[in-house]
Amino acid sequence: MQDDPILSIRNLTKKFGGLTAVDDFSLDVFPGEVVALLGDNGAGKSTVIKCVSGVHTPSAGAISFEGEVVHFSRPIDARTKGIETIYQDLALANNLDVPGNVFLGREVEKRYLGGLIRPLDNKFMLSETQQALSTLHVEIPSLQVPIETLSGGQRQAVAIARAVYWEARLMIMDEPTNNLGVPEQKKVLELINKLRERGVPVILISHTLPEVFAVSDRLVVMHRGRKVTEKKVSQTNSEEVVQYMVGALDDTRQTAPAE
Amino acid sequence: MRKLTKLGAVAALTVALSSGAALSQEMDGITIGFLPGVVDPFYQVMELGVNAAAAELGITVITQIPPTWGVEVQTPILDAMVARGDIDYLVIAPTDKDQMVGPLQNALEAGIKIITVDTFLGDGDYADGPVTFPLSYIGSDNVEGGRISARGLAKAIGGEGKVYINSTNPNVSSVEGRAIGFNEVMDNEYPDIEVIGLDFNLDDMNTAVQQTAATLERVPDLAGVFGTNVFSAQGAGTAVVNAGLGGAVQVVAYDATKFAIEQLREGVVSLVLAQKPFDMGYLAVSFAAADAAGVTSLPVRVETGFAIIDIDNVDDPEVARFIYQVPE
Amino acid sequence: MAQPDPEAAAKAEFAAPKTRSTTDQIILSIIQVWAGVFLAILILVFVISIPLVSGSSVSFLTVRNSQNILVAITPILLLGLGQTFVIISGGIDLSVGWVMSFASVISALALREAYNAGLALPLAVVVGFGTAVIGSGFVGFLNGVIIAKLKVPPFIVTLGMSFIVRGAALLMSENTTVIGLPRGVRDYGNESLLYFIRGEGGGFYFFTKPEISGEMLRRMDRIISYPVLVTVIVVAISIFVLRRTKFGRHTYAIGGNREAAVRAGVPVDRHIIKLYMLSAATAGIAGFLSMLRFTAGSAVIGDPLLLSSIAAVIIGGVSLFGGSGSLVGTVIGSLIIAVLTTGLVMLNVQSFWQFIVVGAVVILAVLIDQSRDMIKNKIETR
Ligand SMILES: Nc1ncnc2c1ncn2[C@@H]1O[C@H](COP(=O)(O)OP(=O)(O)O)[C@@H](O)[C@H]1O
Ligand SMILES: [Mg+2]
Repeated sequence: MQDDPILSIRNLTKKFGGLTAVDDFSLDVFPGEVVALLGDNGAGKSTVIKCVSGVHTPSAGAISFEGEVVHFSRPIDARTKGIETIYQDLALANNLDVPGNVFLGREVEKRYLGGLIRPLDNKFMLSETQQALSTLHVEIPSLQVPIETLSGGQRQAVAIARAVYWEARLMIMDEPTNNLGVPEQKKVLELINKLRERGVPVILISHTLPEVFAVSDRLVVMHRGRKVTEKKVSQTNSEEVVQYMVGALDDTRQTAPAE
Repeated sequence: MRKLTKLGAVAALTVALSSGAALSQEMDGITIGFLPGVVDPFYQVMELGVNAAAAELGITVITQIPPTWGVEVQTPILDAMVARGDIDYLVIAPTDKDQMVGPLQNALEAGIKIITVDTFLGDGDYADGPVTFPLSYIGSDNVEGGRISARGLAKAIGGEGKVYINSTNPNVSSVEGRAIGFNEVMDNEYPDIEVIGLDFNLDDMNTAVQQTAATLERVPDLAGVFGTNVFSAQGAGTAVVNAGLGGAVQVVAYDATKFAIEQLREGVVSLVLAQKPFDMGYLAVSFAAADAAGVTSLPVRVETGFAIIDIDNVDDPEVARFIYQVPE
Repeated sequence: MAQPDPEAAAKAEFAAPKTRSTTDQIILSIIQVWAGVFLAILILVFVISIPLVSGSSVSFLTVRNSQNILVAITPILLLGLGQTFVIISGGIDLSVGWVMSFASVISALALREAYNAGLALPLAVVVGFGTAVIGSGFVGFLNGVIIAKLKVPPFIVTLGMSFIVRGAALLMSENTTVIGLPRGVRDYGNESLLYFIRGEGGGFYFFTKPEISGEMLRRMDRIISYPVLVTVIVVAISIFVLRRTKFGRHTYAIGGNREAAVRAGVPVDRHIIKLYMLSAATAGIAGFLSMLRFTAGSAVIGDPLLLSSIAAVIIGGVSLFGGSGSLVGTVIGSLIIAVLTTGLVMLNVQSFWQFIVVGAVVILAVLIDQSRDMIKNKIETR
């Protein structure tokens, strides 16, 4: 990891009224690595990534992306820079079809009469979508149906394909395997590996430790908004990570807290 | 119901006017509240009559006009007028013949004498009917208006054929009375005229057009339509003209608003029935003044009558003065 | 440990695509087109019953009657049109009825003033049109801004706005009705593109009404009156926009998952403002057309149409929760309402029955919509 970090979070703090959801959090993400962000429910993981992806504005601290300090005020700002996020709640429009979702917000139009009439170029968007899915070896029988008829894993794949198609420079995934069956979980993990092969770094939030150990290079554990440890996966194990998650271990403290 | 003639009204009016000059000192104390049914040209012309009489008699008038028709709109305004405490007489067009009895009784108990114009309480018979507390009811008889419309339409269609009624809402005493009078005359006086139906457009001109258009399909030899108010007639007339039957199918409109007259000139309606709202307003104020002066023989019912306007007499000043002329 | 087992991953496959039982499939396809089927049945019932009840010479399926029905749907359809966009986006616009009245009043005033100031009638009509669209568009802009930027629920905003606009319309109109429009305005609102005289000496006439009189008038059909023409054009453009353009796509996306649309970079707030402007502007066109048709601006003309137009949209299958529906559905919904009114009058049935039927059909429409969801969910949780 000699390269410069793609993403650098410095002393990030996010408060919601009186509640400090994220407290003085720092993290670097380097090209081509998968970093797992772990922690109990309410630890502040989603809030961290929402600050990075422009959903929230940090209360304090700085975020740098590809060497420059960024201030995202809207998600589209982050997307324009190449930060693609696959949210826990998926953020797909279930009533649109697959190309409709892949191109949502960046639809391709045909132009007639000097741009006066601009119908959608559905044919082009469909073929591009097909290509994007096939580079990921994802097969979805019919792309032109509302995605609510697709399985959870297929929808996840649509979200990932969208990120890949738009040449994500950094991919954030918030519990991408939630609510998926085991075979589908594997398929998603396979996609994460494909992203790594393409050099796209991934921040992965997950509760499933075996999965984390299967795909991640590094892991960061949060507890009550703070980062309590950061380790290479090869240097730790599930039991230890659980200790950090429940607050029994904390690298920022000298002694273990009294329960 | 005791029928009182226009003569009675004129007599009362003469009393009021002749005593007017002499009484004007005493009149200074009198305040009249004027509360019509809704903003529209009919009541605006009535207001002109109210103001004209008040100016002549030196009476103060407080006018409040409800923005929409209805008991729930009129009652709070009435209560507010009663609460002022300075009103001696109230000239009102009750928006419901039953529901407005209670609120007006309250006004009476607060020392305000009531004169109803255009519409009435109970059955309109303040001598022997269920409601007797108002001084007088001054207005044209809707049933009579329906009869006159029927005769006008019968004449226009040559005394035979099929006719149709387009009305606003059921159970509204005014338009209901008009339809009753219309049917009565067609049944009794014109054996060769058949009333083929009545539709309610619920105050929607678009619906009036559609209903009339459909009726023209159902009854291709329709000879005439009675619109029980201006908008019903306007909707009906639009359907008639658009069916290419302008002039062939006669349309009667109730109420001589300027809009109705405009439609008469456009050929959309063929006859317009004018009431005399100016007379109603003028008489009501005169009656109040007369009552205040101690006159005890005021008629409890004054019928103000009608004028029929068609394209031939619309420019005749004798007739044109019945068009509801509202100042801009 | 950091590397997953590629073998296992390669073997992993997505869950089988969802399949539906044949019965469900059949039910779903019926649900898709039920409104159209209902309309066809309704017309059939009238075609058969009207000659039986009202005499064999009376027919429901005449050119003139079809034109009557088309004219009758124009205001409902125009109000329902913008409403369809708004409801698909997950909102609702309760102000369209009064915006229509408002537009009718201001366009009448503008037309009259322009004409009195010396403008030629066609130009004055254009001024009236512009005033209607711009004036009501502004009302829609206010609706949209308050909804999108200040996050007040659409129900509340448009309800409040309907009162404001109602007051403005009543104040600006001269006692509810603006009259004194120039002669000739009537023709714009009532004349047609095409005339056809049936039988002897007849034939087609384009644009200009044939100079005929007497008995021949009864044989003349007016085909596609100008308000119908305008409505057809507006509907055609709207169908294209909703189905084929980015604007339409974003409308569905916002209704389907507003948060997803925001995150995907759809300018959601701006889009919502545009939607309410569109809704108000189509109501404005309805007001303008009715002003021409009745040669007067009316401050109450649109009020009774609001609920009919929403009924038409719902019958047409637009989900009140947003995200689905089509304009073709709204056209069918409007037709059902208009066909009912005309058919019942032709049967000489008390026209209030129309309300009972429309009410039942609205509830049926929602039930059908729910059963569609039920069938879908059945598959989802299988
Ligand atoms: N938009 C918000 N407003 C207020 N509090 C929030 C908001 N989002 C998250 N929180 C709170 O911040 C804390 C961290 O939440 P979150 O980042 O979602 O945790 P995690 O994703 O680790 O489960 C929780 O206490 C949560 O209730
Ligand atoms: Mg979370």
